[in-house]
Amino acid sequence: MAATTTVLSFRNVSLTFANRTEALRGVSLDVAAGEFVSILGPSGCGKSTVLRIASGLADYSSGELFVDREHLGFTFQDPTLLPWRTVQHNIELLLELRGVPAAERQRIAREKIALVGLEGFEHNYPKQLSGGMRMRTSLARSLTLDPAVVMFDEPFGALDEISRERLNDELLGLYRRQGFTALFVTHSISEAVFLSSRVVVMSSRPGRILSEFRIPLDYPRDPSIRYLPEFARLCGDVSSALRAATVAAVEA
Amino acid sequence: MSTSAPAPAPYHPPRPAAARPRAALAPLQQLGPPRILGALLALLYAWAQSGLEPHRRFLMPGWAALWEGAFSSPEVLAALWRSALETGRIALAGLAISIPIGMGVGILAFRWRFMERAVFPYLVALQSIPILAIIPLLQSLLGFGFLPKVLIVALFTFFAVPTTLLLGLRSLEPGILDLFRLHGASWGVTLLKAGLPSALPALFAGLRISAGMAVIGAIVSELFFVSGEGGLGQLLINAKLDFQYEQMYAALIVSSLMSIAVYLFFSWLGKRLFAHWHPSADTGGT
Repeated sequence: MAATTTVLSFRNVSLTFANRTEALRGVSLDVAAGEFVSILGPSGCGKSTVLRIASGLADYSSGELFVDREHLGFTFQDPTLLPWRTVQHNIELLLELRGVPAAERQRIAREKIALVGLEGFEHNYPKQLSGGMRMRTSLARSLTLDPAVVMFDEPFGALDEISRERLNDELLGLYRRQGFTALFVTHSISEAVFLSSRVVVMSSRPGRILSEFRIPLDYPRDPSIRYLPEFARLCGDVSSALRAATVAAVEA
Repeated sequence: MSTSAPAPAPYHPPRPAAARPRAALAPLQQLGPPRILGALLALLYAWAQSGLEPHRRFLMPGWAALWEGAFSSPEVLAALWRSALETGRIALAGLAISIPIGMGVGILAFRWRFMERAVFPYLVALQSIPILAIIPLLQSLLGFGFLPKVLIVALFTFFAVPTTLLLGLRSLEPGILDLFRLHGASWGVTLLKAGLPSALPALFAGLRISAGMAVIGAIVSELFFVSGEGGLGQLLINAKLDFQYEQMYAALIVSSLMSIAVYLFFSWLGKRLFAHWHPSADTGGT
């Protein structure tokens, strides 16, 4: 493979709180442009903290971090929509904060609405939408600034299995068409394997990276690859690593 | 325990789904509270009238007397109108002080937690002082003009504003604060675009309370300041001194109507502002 640009680099990043609780220990992770990297780990292992540190929402105590925060998108665990704004105006929010003129805002918002398949719902309020549609709105909003890197903090964790799989398929479509680099936090093994070119397994407190898996399945990925023997084998590998991570945490 | 064959489970025949009465009955439900009020008033009135000895019946004039002695007379109507305007002026001026200052205090308390710790205990203390008890003090301090009355209204109506606003501001989703922070929004922008809109329903719950209190405060203030421009409170006192009980009742009715009108106005304004996204506007209100 040709040399690629690294868009995000954690070098030996640790986070220790004032009360000496160690949240992260020596996390090193390089993400190359165009990669889809998932961070998988038991709850409370600090995988969300990695995203929050990368985006500047949280601090770290030692190590080095390289990231271009100007072109960063973030999709939160909750849709975090403003309930008094319509779908269209919610999607325009970040452009508004950047001072983009109204006509341009509307154009971009309409484009992203089409991208996530929310046409016809532009003037609906969040309370009139299903959970999946709210998440779509949130996704569309995080893409309005055409980010180079998008962080996903368990965005589909609260959805039912059916909506989750559908959104996974659609997210891969967005990933291919928009060409962003993705850092995706989840605790679902099949979701991580289905989406990612690389899966990173973390152990719980102190959060460390225990192992990494390349997922050698070609994009575009058809929803049916979930039922291939190779998919099952990859899930099995990741699953045993995750179990080891949990055991390590219990014994630590 | 019986050993015989188990009885079949009881049969439940189908039943047509009851039509939701809500839509059809909505206008009736809207009329419910005023009807109950009217019925209660009529009952109370009849009971009070029949309970009074004949020579004291003047305390409770009949509808006819009320019409003849007050509402049919252009002079009385003019006096009522002037007094209502004056009372309304005091009430609005008081709100014009308490709402902005109260919102300012609420916002400061949201911005700096120490402000909350520094100010809110005193607010609670202020609320627990019987305001009537400090009116004589205000009189000696400020005289008998417009200002002390307005201050009394402001005191009556202040408390609900910062407390409900702060409650509303605190209810903002933490993820939304993260979102604004992530995209470099200043604190002021975050307050304007996220904090205040999300606090509006809570704030309006407070404003409705304050608005009703404002009319009460204005009338109470006049009971203590029986000089200067006359409002409804003064009309009440004067009518009593002159044994014009019909006029007194007329003033009472007008002041209740004013309280209700102010309350309805704030309900209506709140609905216009957030009924489309907040559930509270559907139920809390008229």
